[in-house]
Amino acid sequence: MADYLDSSAVGYQKSARRLMLIAALAFSVLLLRLAHLQFIEGRQLKGVSVHNFARRVDLPANRGSIYDRKGRLLAVSRPSFDLYITPAQVKDIDVLLEGLGQVIELDALDILKLKEKVLQRQGNWRYKGLLVARDIGRKHVALAEDLRSRVAGISIQVRYQREYPMGEIGAHLLGYLGRPRPDELGEGSPYRNDSMLGRFGLEKKLEETLRGEDGFERYVVNARGARKRGGWAERALEGLDNYRPPQRGHDVVLTIDADLQRILANALEGFESGAAVVLEPDTGAVLGIISKPSFDPNEWSGRLSFASKQAIDDNPYNPMLDKSVHSYFPGSIYKPMTALAALEEGVLDPELPIESPGSYEFGNRIFHCHKRSGHGAVDLNAAMAASADVYFYKLGEQLGIDTLARYARRFGFGQRTALGINGESAGIVPTKAHHDKNTRGGFQYGLALSTAIGQGDVRTTPLQMAMAYAALANGGVLYSPRVIDHIRTEDQREISRTQPIQIGTLEARPDHLAAIKRALERAVNDPKRATGHHAAIPYGVIAGKTGTAQVRKIVRGMMRQSVNRFQDRDHAWFAAFAPYDNPKLVVIIFLEHGGSGGKDAAPIARRVFEAYHQQIEPIFQTEARLGR
Amino acid sequence: MSKLLAILARAPWVLLIALLGLCALSVYNLHSTSMAAGNTIYLRHLYWMLIGGGVMIVVALIDYRSLQRFVPLFYLGVLTLLLLVLLVGKEVNGSKRWIDLGFVGFQPSELAKLAIILSLASWFQRVPRPGGYALKDLLPVAALIGLPMLLILLEPDLGHTLMLLFISGSMLVFERFERRAMVTLLIFGLASAPFVWEFVLRDYQKSRILTLVDSKADTHGAGWHARQARVAVGSGGFFGKGHGHGTQVAGGFLPENHTDFVFANLAEEQGFLGGFFVLALYLALIISALRSASMARDRFGRHVAVGVGALIFWHVLMNMGMVLNILPVTGVTLPLLSYGGTSVVTVMSAMGLLLNIHLRRTVF
Repeated sequence: MADYLDSSAVGYQKSARRLMLIAALAFSVLLLRLAHLQFIEGRQLKGVSVHNFARRVDLPANRGSIYDRKGRLLAVSRPSFDLYITPAQVKDIDVLLEGLGQVIELDALDILKLKEKVLQRQGNWRYKGLLVARDIGRKHVALAEDLRSRVAGISIQVRYQREYPMGEIGAHLLGYLGRPRPDELGEGSPYRNDSMLGRFGLEKKLEETLRGEDGFERYVVNARGARKRGGWAERALEGLDNYRPPQRGHDVVLTIDADLQRILANALEGFESGAAVVLEPDTGAVLGIISKPSFDPNEWSGRLSFASKQAIDDNPYNPMLDKSVHSYFPGSIYKPMTALAALEEGVLDPELPIESPGSYEFGNRIFHCHKRSGHGAVDLNAAMAASADVYFYKLGEQLGIDTLARYARRFGFGQRTALGINGESAGIVPTKAHHDKNTRGGFQYGLALSTAIGQGDVRTTPLQMAMAYAALANGGVLYSPRVIDHIRTEDQREISRTQPIQIGTLEARPDHLAAIKRALERAVNDPKRATGHHAAIPYGVIAGKTGTAQVRKIVRGMMRQSVNRFQDRDHAWFAAFAPYDNPKLVVIIFLEHGGSGGKDAAPIARRVFEAYHQQIEPIFQTEARLGR
Repeated sequence: MSKLLAILARAPWVLLIALLGLCALSVYNLHSTSMAAGNTIYLRHLYWMLIGGGVMIVVALIDYRSLQRFVPLFYLGVLTLLLLVLLVGKEVNGSKRWIDLGFVGFQPSELAKLAIILSLASWFQRVPRPGGYALKDLLPVAALIGLPMLLILLEPDLGHTLMLLFISGSMLVFERFERRAMVTLLIFGLASAPFVWEFVLRDYQKSRILTLVDSKADTHGAGWHARQARVAVGSGGFFGKGHGHGTQVAGGFLPENHTDFVFANLAEEQGFLGGFFVLALYLALIISALRSASMARDRFGRHVAVGVGALIFWHVLMNMGMVLNILPVTGVTLPLLSYGGTSVVTVMSAMGLLLNIHLRRTVF
């Protein structure tokens, strides 16, 4: 084969160089692209690669506990152990299920269903745990752990379950937990899908104190979702933020007494709807506060069944309304405020008898007394004892509505207290301006008369009333009601302690205050007239005032007991403090549409004082010593 | 003896060093994917390299001019194999590309590239046109290229079909044509594109091309592969994650990491530095081939050398273009680095041809 001698070798050399140039240019494009991906998109793509292999498990923080004043648990997060099967790890489903049958109760049908569920899982879903049993209890955990060490595919996951040992008692104060709403999740949110956060009561108000901070742990998975350790997996996590321990929330110790809560709940037995508040008059500390009807916060914190929810929704007495901080007509328990205003304004001589008939004509209206026959000429003590309406109409007429309002505000009415839970109401202190704005026809002078006996537009909450009576009892100092005694860490280190918060005084002369206190003592202990005589006890002196607040003007003068519609019945109040000479407790009983202050609410207050004295702390010491 | 020394003195050292570098790198790189998958593919790759090396030496030693006689026979043999694969081939993912020989799979389309290179070069040798080729001269060439291309397109294997087209195109570009022939070819090529799109390409092939334009078009099929390759490459950075520490490979997120997407593994673990090095080695190989072409003793040798250079060039371009997400996903391997016996032996024999031509070049 003869060599073909090329006539244009130089031409081929040119061609070759051209192709070399093209190849070099094409490879430069590849190199630039490589540089672009690795340098410009590098950071972002590195993030994607981390996203591929890194999985984050959240380590939920244990929520702080809530204790009563004596260190008894009111709310606690208990670890709950849930049992899972991971289908991908199961080697022999029958052996596993047989072993499982010895740990938890499973009947033949359960086993069949479980087996089907495990075998049905496909693809990556097989790596996702299948919940078998919730909250299996400590004894079963030990058995499950034992099974786990022998059979592959079982895992136990810990979750915190909020528990309220007192159940329904005091549920409104403590509140409950719920899952976060979509708008509470997302970037920067401390919550995850399965977080539980305070939704009501103190759980909500103290959310940040109790919550703590969730931690996390990062681990490595392969493309099939199986967890990997060591080697590349260990290297992959280098330089990443891989672990943060969960921070337990703080514990909160309340001023509340668990025993007293129980006493209050028992005392209100038989009444459908109402509230009770017990306060320490010298400090403003709330010792007991309940609202009726109540709900079970254990259920509401993530275990609410449809039936229970339905029952609460259908309950006509509105269980989810915290009546201790909702405002109502106070009725006659408002009369001491009117009396103090009159004394301070110099329009009342407490000793001077004032004619108090069964009705009082003012302008073109007749104002009735609850007692149609009237009370005759009565002084302050007798008027308070008998709750003589006309006596107070006359005081209201002389003072005018704005003067009454000025004094009412000194008692803290018309503004929210510092407790600030459950949509606390501010109540209403009516003034001329208020009526001009809200009443058809504007302010009329007669409204001052209604206001003087706690009707008209006056609205107060049971808690406000407790605060106001505490001021009367302690010599004129207005304390903000407080429920938190102190906040501490898990290891008992105190973070903050709440001191009594004085928010004002009644600015009243001591003898005027003494006169009011005396009149309130008469209202319980006057042998002839006392409307609150059902609250009297033989071994101590209780002072207090009944209130039977009319809800509907139409029913006035009719036989009130014949009013069948619950919503039309009167509110029954009793506001009291004791012992009379050195008050230790203020007790407010409120029965929504509950009937009569004297007959229904006063005996409840007495039972509370008695039970407190007998079961918690003897408060009637002086009298007891005298009795010996 | 002195003749052997003379031959060694004329040996293409750049080519040999680049080749050795790529072989060593490929085994090292596959060692990482083997660790991840828990197999010994890197060892099998090494064996194939040794076999390929033997084939290369044999091919290099026999004077290529005496090989020219067997070219038509080789061409016909490859055509037969291509027909055979369509009849008895093993079907994988809807296409028949492999003939199962029991102990090993065999891919005739790899050999088709060699067949085309050799037969085209042989034709150029036999039909010289010092004044440039006219259009009518190219009709037999079209048949020569078209037949194996059609058979491979039927498998279907778009990657290798294009490969044959590009390699033959490169070899043609090396020759001189009449102006009229060039213009006609260009117009014909452009005009046929819509017909190819409409009647030749299958839906999944179209979707791979579309994925390039819009990466969200297909995030689970070919788009998923490309996406994971991009993540692997990009997360490598300048120095890479280190041997055996590429999370995309070790975690199994990067599919086909020992074959088509092997470069993604290298770029992830060895970074820009490694990628740059590999590209440089390939470029050295191609330049070396083109140098051999310009120095070859005859037209046959010239065109074989260009063809081999084009084979490497287009494989690297299409494979890396795919891994780097600038070209569609086609099953084109990265020469030597991708695991695969047929591919390794084919490339090594091509290298043998290159050596052969270089050793017997004209000395000016």
